[in-house]
Amino acid sequence: MRRLSLHVYAGLLVMVTFNLLPFYWMITSSLKNNMEVTSFPATLWPQQLTGEAYAEIWLNAGFPTYFVNSLIVSVSTAVLSVGFGTLAAYGFSRFRFRGRLVLMSIFLASQMIPGVLLIVPYFKLLTIIGLFDTRIGLILALTTITLPFSVWMLKGYMDSVPIEIDQAAMIDGASRLQCMRLVILPNILPGVVATTTFAFLLSWGDVLWALCLISDEAKLTITLGITRLIGQFRVVWSQTMAAIVIASVVPAVLYLLMQRYLIQGAVSSSVKE
Amino acid sequence: MSNRSRVLHLLSALVLGLVTLAGPASAQVTLVYSDWQLAENVWNRSLREAFAEFEKANPDIKIKYEPVALGQRDTRYSTALRAGKGPDVFALDANPIKQYIKEGWVMDLTPFIAKEGGQQYLADWYPSLLGPVTEGGKVYGLPKNVSPIMLTYNKELLTAAGIAAPPKTWAEFREAAKKMTKATKDGGPVDQWGTLLVLAPAGFDLRFSVVLRGFGGDFLSPDNTKSLLDSPEAKAAFNYVIEMIQNDRSLPPGVSQIDAQGGRTLVANRKVAMAFEGLFTVPIIADINPQLDAWKVLEMAPVPQNPGSEKQIRSTYYMKSIFMNSKSEHPEQAWKLIKFMMEKKQMEKWFVDNNLLSGRKSVNDTFKPILENKFTNAARPEIERAAFLPQIPKWPEIMETVRQALQAAIAKSKTPEQALADAHKAVEAILARP
Amino acid sequence: MSDRANGDHKVNWTEREDVKGVLFVLPALLLLIAVLGFPAVGAVLQSFNLLWTDKPSFTFAAYRQLVDDPAFARAAWNTLLFVIATVSFHLLIGLLVAMLLNLEVRLKWLFRVIALLPWTVPDVFAGLVWRFMVDPLAGFINSVLITFAGQTEPVDWLGTSTLAFGCLILAEGWRAYPFIMLILLAGLQAIPPQQYEAAQLDGATAWQSFRFVTLPNLKTMFVIAAVLDTIWECRLFGMVFSLTGGGPGDATQVLSLLTYRQNFEFFNPAYSAAIAVALAAAMLALSVPYLRLTMKQTV
Repeated sequence: MRRLSLHVYAGLLVMVTFNLLPFYWMITSSLKNNMEVTSFPATLWPQQLTGEAYAEIWLNAGFPTYFVNSLIVSVSTAVLSVGFGTLAAYGFSRFRFRGRLVLMSIFLASQMIPGVLLIVPYFKLLTIIGLFDTRIGLILALTTITLPFSVWMLKGYMDSVPIEIDQAAMIDGASRLQCMRLVILPNILPGVVATTTFAFLLSWGDVLWALCLISDEAKLTITLGITRLIGQFRVVWSQTMAAIVIASVVPAVLYLLMQRYLIQGAVSSSVKE
Repeated sequence: MSNRSRVLHLLSALVLGLVTLAGPASAQVTLVYSDWQLAENVWNRSLREAFAEFEKANPDIKIKYEPVALGQRDTRYSTALRAGKGPDVFALDANPIKQYIKEGWVMDLTPFIAKEGGQQYLADWYPSLLGPVTEGGKVYGLPKNVSPIMLTYNKELLTAAGIAAPPKTWAEFREAAKKMTKATKDGGPVDQWGTLLVLAPAGFDLRFSVVLRGFGGDFLSPDNTKSLLDSPEAKAAFNYVIEMIQNDRSLPPGVSQIDAQGGRTLVANRKVAMAFEGLFTVPIIADINPQLDAWKVLEMAPVPQNPGSEKQIRSTYYMKSIFMNSKSEHPEQAWKLIKFMMEKKQMEKWFVDNNLLSGRKSVNDTFKPILENKFTNAARPEIERAAFLPQIPKWPEIMETVRQALQAAIAKSKTPEQALADAHKAVEAILARP
Repeated sequence: MSDRANGDHKVNWTEREDVKGVLFVLPALLLLIAVLGFPAVGAVLQSFNLLWTDKPSFTFAAYRQLVDDPAFARAAWNTLLFVIATVSFHLLIGLLVAMLLNLEVRLKWLFRVIALLPWTVPDVFAGLVWRFMVDPLAGFINSVLITFAGQTEPVDWLGTSTLAFGCLILAEGWRAYPFIMLILLAGLQAIPPQQYEAAQLDGATAWQSFRFVTLPNLKTMFVIAAVLDTIWECRLFGMVFSLTGGGPGDATQVLSLLTYRQNFEFFNPAYSAAIAVALAAAMLALSVPYLRLTMKQTV
């Protein structure tokens, strides 16, 4: 048993090293100055610790705005996604209407359409409606990525709640909607949290849609801000790494706070009759 | 009050009323200007200074800047333009111009030019530069600046290696590159290389093309209908590059991934002695590493050729031109901006900031700083010896095919002969498509 | 199932319930159709040259080009290899790490957070970080090799097809395995401990326990994870774009990258649409077993 323990910790150590190595490189590079970050061979630890890369992007390259924009867009997308998604998931989970399978297939199939295919037509659509270069347009676009996924996840969680609970509530006079709100949702709260977090993260990481749908500097998301840093004329690795660190902080913190829910949520979705 | 003054009062009230009614017509117009050079330090500063001047002279026009990374420019623009949106005024290099014209995305500027004097106005531009921006007799854009690609070298490194003058033939070039590849620290790894090549998509076309042309070859036939990649010159150029990389090892490792800025950084950090660059490179390299003292240490010479070669063309044009969105809502104001950018004074300022030759002959021939600059003096005669890359809509796809072939040969997934032969076939297939 | 349990005597229960069900689904469906449907249908029509073109006329030309184009064949092959390799990596490493995290170790929460971290980096940027790590001159890996392993010449990690492909698989393996690990961990945690106890009572070794208790219980989650991951890896774009750009040559050019290139760099939107439609069709075919499985599961 003790030997197993040693193997276990050794395995965990390997996992930790593998996972953290790129982060270590990201962070140490972001703390080097321009000259050092391109030296050959690369220094494994900054010879001169400096925050100039962070200062540069935070003060000069407009990153605070991008950060806030990303927050606004990602939170809105997640909320919209989970809002619509919960309703749809409840419909799929609790009802057996005709065409149910077809509709579910549509939701699944929509995940398979590559974004590249959709961008130009979507742009045209937005222009017609007048939503080009608005955050709303971007949020709607990102919802298409997160919505199908959210519906499937939430449906899985809902399926794990026995239907008797619905019936008990309805006997007490609850409407279907109240059922969903007051009875089902509280039961799958970890699942809802997990889904919201995933939806947030999916939209946080988007680059392609933001690139094409947003042109106003004031509305750029942080991912777009980073790709701007990497033009033909500016590959300052220290700044690029600093920006990526900033862009990864939010998701990392979210994981830290939500990790209990994420695992719990995933567990309950796997428990099927 | 007398009758006369009453009438005067009435008249002035009327005029005032009319003026205020017409007021909205002269209200603020916002023009969106987009340029990949806004994403680079040196150019960005220069553009913003110039535009501040423009806004002062035209208080009813406000400019909104839209930087875009060069690699994403066409993605961004084509998406917006296909939906009828996009910046009012924007800049393009020579490559995609014909495609933009074909898609109808750029405004025909001929009527505006006619108002400025038509042919007389255009006569100041080098005729060869107007080729890419003209289609069917209509002018769609105006060239802002031009540079032939030159052999750019670090004089100090050459002298240190005992090389008195820049190489004139490809054999000399190869020898020089070998001599300047070494380890700068005793016992350390090789960390200085004779030359480099840009093989990432960004900047590949300008640089490999001069090797190809310096060898007397080219990508396509002059009428752009046939591939010339199976010519002996093309094969020679192809093999030359691969041998330098694989046998001589006089290029830095990771050659397949180096893009234009990566190359400039290597030159700036004294890791590479010779490179093929345009005039624009000097301020940028100076900005990357002030300690290098780039203006003093760098020099430029013509692209090498093989002895006895009689070919006129040995270099490629880099050109930046300015265009108007065909669906711009403010064409008059957009034209004002374009005209402003083409003014002599603005061209001169552009040179001072960015070391680039103007598209206008009069500027290059009369502006004293240009005449006294060692770089432009080396470059000016090369203008006659440079040509554009093929100006056809299919060019981006053709160029990518050649680039991938070269990379495959370097990666040893194909022999050089096979890679080039496959590229030749693929290019012919692309040309054959309607 | 038991929708009819409590009779509603006023109206036909089933029909009213059916409508209600559709109503719940409607908002999401409408949103999807509006934002996704119109562009998707438009793109399909464009691939047949029926939309957004000067002279619309139904033609298979774009699809014929697909068949003739060696670049498409190459990209399809690359995509196949890439997806198989990456999904296998994810499943294998994901399972191993999930088993580790399923145990009662000290500081379990810390290990779980670290286990999820790679997934926090958006794929475009993960590609950039790895690109920097494997850079021949300024990168981390060569620096370690030169400083500690006595290597004199920097290795060009992205310079040959095999190495570049390997780096891509490693980078994407690193980035996306945490999510698969999460799914498998959930599956592991759902296995009733009684089954393990029973196996132990029967004298099973650790390996036999694994084979006869763990694996069968995990079968469903495995399939779900595999199918989801396959769909995602088929679509993967940002990581490949940043790390290799499809190179060297077209050694790592996958279909999503080719679609992007044809549309935005070569200005061939119809052909780009055809490639994307082909890819989507392949993914759809793949997901049919997934659909069947989850239908059976949740009925």
